[in-house]
Amino acid sequence: MGERTRQALPSVLSVLLSLGVCWLLIAFTRDEGGLATATAAYLQMLWGGVGDWPRFLFEDAPATVLTRPMGEAAMKAALLTFTGLSVAVAFKVGLFNIGAQGQMLLGALAAAVVGAHVALPSVLHIPAALLGAALAGAAWAGIAALLKLYRGVHEVISTIMLNWVALRLVDNWLVVGPLRGTAEAGASVTGTAEIHPTAALPRLLGDSSRLNLGFVLATVAAVAVWAWLTRMRSGFETRAVGLGDEAARAAGIPVARRAGLAMALAGALSGLAGAVLVLGTEGRYPGTLGAPYGFDGIAIALIGNNHPLGVGAAALFFGVLRAGGTRMQLLDVHKSFPELIQGLALLFVAGRLIWLAVLRRRTAPAPVATPAAPTAQVPHA
Amino acid sequence: MLEVLHRLLFATLDAAPALVFAALGAVLSERAGVVAVGVEGMMRVGAFCAAVAALVMPTPLAVVMGMLAGAGLAAVHGFLCIRWRSDQVVSGIALNLVALAGGTFLLETHFGPNGTPSIQQLSTWELPGLSSVPVLGALSGHAAPTYLALLLPVLLQLVLTRTPLGLRLRAVGDKPHAVATLGLSVPALRWGAVLGGGLLAGLGGAVLSTTVLDRFEQHTPAGLGFMALAAMVFGRWTPLGAFLAAAFFAFGNALRIGLASSAPGLLDVVPQGVLLALPYVLTLVVLTLQGQRNSTPAALGVPYEQESR
Repeated sequence: MGERTRQALPSVLSVLLSLGVCWLLIAFTRDEGGLATATAAYLQMLWGGVGDWPRFLFEDAPATVLTRPMGEAAMKAALLTFTGLSVAVAFKVGLFNIGAQGQMLLGALAAAVVGAHVALPSVLHIPAALLGAALAGAAWAGIAALLKLYRGVHEVISTIMLNWVALRLVDNWLVVGPLRGTAEAGASVTGTAEIHPTAALPRLLGDSSRLNLGFVLATVAAVAVWAWLTRMRSGFETRAVGLGDEAARAAGIPVARRAGLAMALAGALSGLAGAVLVLGTEGRYPGTLGAPYGFDGIAIALIGNNHPLGVGAAALFFGVLRAGGTRMQLLDVHKSFPELIQGLALLFVAGRLIWLAVLRRRTAPAPVATPAAPTAQVPHA
Repeated sequence: MLEVLHRLLFATLDAAPALVFAALGAVLSERAGVVAVGVEGMMRVGAFCAAVAALVMPTPLAVVMGMLAGAGLAAVHGFLCIRWRSDQVVSGIALNLVALAGGTFLLETHFGPNGTPSIQQLSTWELPGLSSVPVLGALSGHAAPTYLALLLPVLLQLVLTRTPLGLRLRAVGDKPHAVATLGLSVPALRWGAVLGGGLLAGLGGAVLSTTVLDRFEQHTPAGLGFMALAAMVFGRWTPLGAFLAAAFFAFGNALRIGLASSAPGLLDVVPQGVLLALPYVLTLVVLTLQGQRNSTPAALGVPYEQESR
């Protein structure tokens, strides 16, 4: 088994196992016809995520039965990619970014403000709004980084606090107060003012799908982060700090600067998630940005094994699952199943070593009197 | 003035126990070297199981059920992290997600989206002779968990610092190999700490659904588990420190509510959102001023392997 397979296989198997477990769970919570219902629900989820191919091919349905679901899936995948990358980048430098949600909130707000209150041609407006969101997210994460570097405040506690501060200040004050939008008749609306059309991310498939530029941006971001971490000196140094800051310091790597920049980058990525949500689909900062994409990012990063491309793959898969999951409700399957699948997948991923032990036993050519590898041994059990 | 102080203190004592227990559970687990990110999930199953159990049995017994449920989830964490040396952060986050999605699923399929039916709350105890004393009287009239939350931190502090068992637990979080050298079982000690932490986190959750509320709702415990982690770090991984931090958070919250209700004019000057953010900003400010010595247990999050050094 190659090293790459060894790294990726447990994640893939975990996702499959969690799909299987939830399939059984749906089946057994039915009074009758459970297995058929569960299978039908999964098919609904599949068609709802990657497009309703049977209806398109055999029932002559319009192309929107393909583009709509795919667009939804890609849209959700874009958000998960950004927040997943955010958490993964922080992990790479050895920091645990629980604050993706707060950074995303600030990014969304910044994008909404730049989108609504600045007048620019489209070529400048979109980059400006994205930049604003990235900077806002980076600044918010930067607070945690500064507290860590100069005052030794643990990033877990500061990012948790910053999440709450962001939520309270934005949702309970700015959006309902100073930044509240007004409709044409002068009546106030929930959320901020509508962004100018020049700031909206272009739809890639016209009106037939909500698929927008955000998905392309997320893909580019994943590849860029991967290239940075594996191909550039500063990225390599960042990983070195994450693997052991003492050794990195001894090797002359500016540990504090690497950690600070990685955290700022993490914040910028989360901020972009907020921007894609606002500029791509919402069109404004809504009354409340309830969607916990920031917290989902933690799971996506971990299932993707903190590898930027793995994060992209995990985000794509769970984007499909999330988009298709709503269709399962047609069969009376509860809407929390996609999240349950995600949670169980992560739980099984946590048992990475169990997978490896099982796989080794199956593939190894019966070791002759070799003691079991250290990873499979149980101390004092 | 005394009246206001009395009410603030009373509200704090009512709200703090859930946070205190969860924070103590996190301290116990992490001092033995096992990361406790899953506290939020353990609180959630504790709250859910206690609320469901209270529908069919006396509430005190239901609280015990909640504790056992918390320990059950902790056992999964222990199995993955101690037995299989899994990444403890991954495992903890996974438990949170499973508890969140699974809890929502069970709640809505069995009781509907508005939460479980209301249950009998834990009864409150009046402390004779204390109720009429100004300010201190706020100590009286709470349910049993409040009194336990005042005692347990002291007890746990004493156990951790003054007993051989406490020494071993701390050593297993700092230098597990040294403990193994003494012929003690590292996994056994860690299992004890993880399960104990689960019992405490489950208790924290059960307190939410049996004293703070009278049911389990979709949003219980709404991030309180993460606040407990913050209290643990804030309190530098000591029971008393975590207790003080948790009490500080609860007081900040009570202060905010008290400010808003006793001075309605305040809301014209200070927006509600800023007031809501206050406890968290305050925490950040205090942390910044105080700075943090590095008091993290040395072997925290490092799976124990007998062969490695």
